[in-house]
Amino acid sequence: MSGNAYDIDIWGLVVALTMVAVAAGISEVMRMGIGRSLIWSACRALLQLCAMGYVVGYVIRANNVWLVFAVIAVMLVAAVQITLSRAKGVPKGLAGPVLLSLTITMLLMIALVTELVVRPHPWYAPQLVVPLTGMLLGNTVSALAVGLSRFYESMDERRDEIDTMLALGSTAWEAARPSIVSSIRLGLLPTMATLASCGIVTIPGMMAGQVIAGGDPLEAAKYQFVVFAAIAALTLVADSLIMAMVYRTCFTADDQYRPADMRGVR
Amino acid sequence: MGVTYATMEMLSSDASSVLFAASDVRCAVPSPSGERTIFSGLSFTIDAGEIVDLIGPSGSGKSSLLTAFARLNPHADGTLTLDGRDSTSFAPQQWRREVAYLPQKPILPGDTVADAIRLPFTLGVRADGQPSDVRPSRHGRGRLARLFRGNAERARQLLPDSRIRETLDAMGCADIDLARAPHDLSGGQAARVSLARTLLTGPRVLLADEVDAGLDDDNAEKVADIMAQAAADGMAIVRIRHRPPDGRATRIVTLADGRLDSKTTDTETEARA
Repeated sequence: MSGNAYDIDIWGLVVALTMVAVAAGISEVMRMGIGRSLIWSACRALLQLCAMGYVVGYVIRANNVWLVFAVIAVMLVAAVQITLSRAKGVPKGLAGPVLLSLTITMLLMIALVTELVVRPHPWYAPQLVVPLTGMLLGNTVSALAVGLSRFYESMDERRDEIDTMLALGSTAWEAARPSIVSSIRLGLLPTMATLASCGIVTIPGMMAGQVIAGGDPLEAAKYQFVVFAAIAALTLVADSLIMAMVYRTCFTADDQYRPADMRGVR
Repeated sequence: MGVTYATMEMLSSDASSVLFAASDVRCAVPSPSGERTIFSGLSFTIDAGEIVDLIGPSGSGKSSLLTAFARLNPHADGTLTLDGRDSTSFAPQQWRREVAYLPQKPILPGDTVADAIRLPFTLGVRADGQPSDVRPSRHGRGRLARLFRGNAERARQLLPDSRIRETLDAMGCADIDLARAPHDLSGGQAARVSLARTLLTGPRVLLADEVDAGLDDDNAEKVADIMAQAAADGMAIVRIRHRPPDGRATRIVTLADGRLDSKTTDTETEARA
């Protein structure tokens, strides 16, 4: 670590794990039934984060463009898998559209944020590109999962309305539009809430990290803003792309409503 | 009149007076034990100005037949023609604009009754009816905005409140306030608004699915009057009904065990005599 960062030694991790263990113990006493999964999740998080730290450290040291993109590709595949497992009631065969939407969003992010705003040397600077992609994917994955779940739920709820609109001569897009708009809006809500509250209520994770690591707080704030702005805009792009690609799964080729049991819901 | 004969006459184009013809209509729904055929090989014709009542036991597939006619039924197929033109030469939206299915449940989205009635005119399929001076630019921003905004403004020009009011009054719906929220309407009012909405779009064939179900006799009578008026103006109307015959139908067709049986009513006999 550079600057005047304060390193955490092994005992620091032990203290953190102990805190979780105590919390789990209390929850067991109160019979909340989440103690085991709390400990399990904490251990998983520790392992995953350490592995991530190790991999990112290796990639930064190697400073190889192909390695950077290999890591990003793995992250993308994992993001698709997580999106699909979190989204409820979606039909099979969405992996392609989700991957495409995430890839386009990620490329836009690298093009705009990295190359237009930060302009690092070399252009693929791993310590910039890999964490940025991670943050973007994290947010986009939740937005897509929420958006997709909401879209199919809404299409099922609005079945009578959709049938009526189709009978009145609407296209599939016109009939699906209210569901598309409401699901994109719902997917964006957390991002917008973060945008509005950051700096007043919370110090966002990325900025906090830079400050703790000894960075200039104003520099950190600028970075954080750029990242938030990119995430807000690109989440909207990702959600719109996925909706444009999947709304037709609720319709037949003849613009008839296709109910959930004909969609092959997972 | 034999249906096969009618269909052949249709194919030989010109002289045919049959407005709408369906042949070889089949509907099979998926079930745990493979496909279950509800009906197959059905044929049906209707002329302009006719009112045909479709009756039959529940579950016999009456609604499925009407949604098949409107090309709304994903489980059905068959050959459909309007004025001798095959349905495959229409886009689905164009077809449904001429052959309108009216669902049993009145669904009226929108903030007011007027908005609910204007809904069909916000749709792209009716965009050609707009005055040329308000046509939005066909490219760039106008088009993108139209994708999301709908066309409330254009709909208001195509169908101003005053025209809705006139139409509703002429239909005996003077009791319906256009500025009210649709969910404040009574069941009978909602059914009439839903019917008025479809009639205002001027379809050639109206497929009315038990529109008078759940209405009191007074409202059912009003609904029947509105449809009789539309038929007198040349609309072909198929009604699914569970009520006793009201004397307005020219024919009563029974769908049972996958077969359609036609019976001419006294009204038509009198009309022919």
